[in-house]
Amino acid sequence: MGGIQEIEIRDAKPEDTNGIVELVIRLKRLNEEFDPLFKTRDDIAIHAKKYVESALVSDESVIVVAERKGKIVGVIKADIVDRIFYEPRIEGRIRELYVLPEFRRNGLGKRLIEVIIEKLKNRVDMITAEFPTLNEIAIRFYNRLGFRGIMSNYTIEVRK
Amino acid sequence: MTSLEEKASHPSTLAMKYHPFYKGKIQIALKCPVRSYDDFAIWYTPGVAEPCKAIQKNVDLVFEYTNRANTVAIVTDGTRILGLGDIGPEAGLPVMEGKALLFKYLGGIDAFPIALATKDAEKIIEIVKALEPSFGGINLEDIEKPKCFYILERLRQEMRIPVWHDDQQGTATVTVAAFINAVKFVGKRISDVIVTLIGAGAANIAIARLLIAYGVPAGNLRLVDSKGVLHAEREDVDKLQFQDKWKYEMAIKTNKDRVVGGIPEGLKGADVCIAMSRPGPGVIKKEWITAMADDSIVFACANPIPEIWPWEAKEAGAKIVATGRSDFPNQVNNSLGFPGIFRGALDVRAYTITDEMCLAAAIELARVAEEKGLSEEYILPTMEDWEVYPREATVVAMKAIELGVARIKKSRDEVYEEAYRKIKIARDQTKLLMEKGFIPPPPE
Repeated sequence: MGGIQEIEIRDAKPEDTNGIVELVIRLKRLNEEFDPLFKTRDDIAIHAKKYVESALVSDESVIVVAERKGKIVGVIKADIVDRIFYEPRIEGRIRELYVLPEFRRNGLGKRLIEVIIEKLKNRVDMITAEFPTLNEIAIRFYNRLGFRGIMSNYTIEVRK
Repeated sequence: MTSLEEKASHPSTLAMKYHPFYKGKIQIALKCPVRSYDDFAIWYTPGVAEPCKAIQKNVDLVFEYTNRANTVAIVTDGTRILGLGDIGPEAGLPVMEGKALLFKYLGGIDAFPIALATKDAEKIIEIVKALEPSFGGINLEDIEKPKCFYILERLRQEMRIPVWHDDQQGTATVTVAAFINAVKFVGKRISDVIVTLIGAGAANIAIARLLIAYGVPAGNLRLVDSKGVLHAEREDVDKLQFQDKWKYEMAIKTNKDRVVGGIPEGLKGADVCIAMSRPGPGVIKKEWITAMADDSIVFACANPIPEIWPWEAKEAGAKIVATGRSDFPNQVNNSLGFPGIFRGALDVRAYTITDEMCLAAAIELARVAEEKGLSEEYILPTMEDWEVYPREATVVAMKAIELGVARIKKSRDEVYEEAYRKIKIARDQTKLLMEKGFIPPPPE
């Protein structure tokens, strides 16, 4: 079992790219298990890498990682979103959150959320989290932390 | 090989002859006298109203005034009958009757086959819960996984009588007993052995849990399923969290060495192999056994053909081999477990059968064999050593009292004598019925 005491939570660095990409892919594959409309592409690795690389250099994204003995075991990424029609206006939207199974149930996910809130608190007015509607694990997790639904995203397939 | 196959097919031929002849394997018999029709007024109305009223005032008296404390419901939905799969509740009934026969003959317990016409887990839970007032215990039989885990867990939480799934607790108890003696025989330490479990079904998950409870470090276990050796970072572990959380738990805490690969990688350097997977031969190859540690222990328990033939495992270097078959030495036989365990649980009117009670039974089972003298070919008692049942009953009952899950307290001697007597009566009654011709000899 992973010892949570040896885990360091810190800002992501460019050299973390591959570790983060791996976890982001695992997250997307997990989404696929809940809903076939999240079927991952065969070339997901290339796109995940580009996505992480550009987020790492963007002012509008924050990535925090949990590291244990040189290995990335958890990641959280939030983007700054300007809600041009509404108040409060600036939103920090958590788009990626993943913790390796053996490090779960230790409060690590919660700590990642707390750290990202701490980092963003001077820049945003509110924090949201975006995840597939059918991802029960995410639903349970965010409900437990006191989040509530704010925006619905419905779909109908037009081409099979 | 032909003779083995003939030997294996012989019971099938007889079964097709005997089943229609006897038209069932169990029946109801009276427990109280009928001296004249006047006695009906005692056993039935109006006399019976008195015990009814007494039970109404104190519901636990139901165990004193009825046969409830000696009954078990054998419940199936027919979805995983033997190795035959989902063949339906009716087709499962012969197995349930067979189980009832074992309950009676080996444990002195009146068990009732109940095959349900639903596969819906929630409905099964609702139905079984509603049966509670009639029975002293519930035996879930041949229900597919992972539904069986869920049903067992819910019913164990929500019922006040023992709920048992033999493919989990029963197999685990007997296997752990064999494990204890095998490890002792080869002179290794429980805290050091690496145990590779092949197959991650109901049995092996429960075996892993019981081994951990016995003192094998979780990290020393390696579970191998159809996708290979389980470890915390395997691709599908996320999915297991919500599809099979029992396997998920094991993925996270087992395999500290992070062995990856298939059965050969899982077995390399291991001290013990416990295979509960699919019929062989050839599921486990000889060279994989050779690559295990010295004095290796191999349990190849698939039926009807073990994952590897015992002689092949021996040739490959295994010191001790066990299978699920009665025609080879060291049969890991569930019938060594549940009759005695239920006997003990029922006799102290236990609310539940905990893993600790199973472990107590496993240790006692191992001890019975040890007292008779362990050898490479004798690590478990056989059903003929029938003192094993009252002895298991005794330790299970004592453990239930110790854990505070027994409705009544009894001394060790009282439990043993009561269990011994009830089991002996069941055996003697059968003998008597056969002698008197009420159970006629089988057809030629």
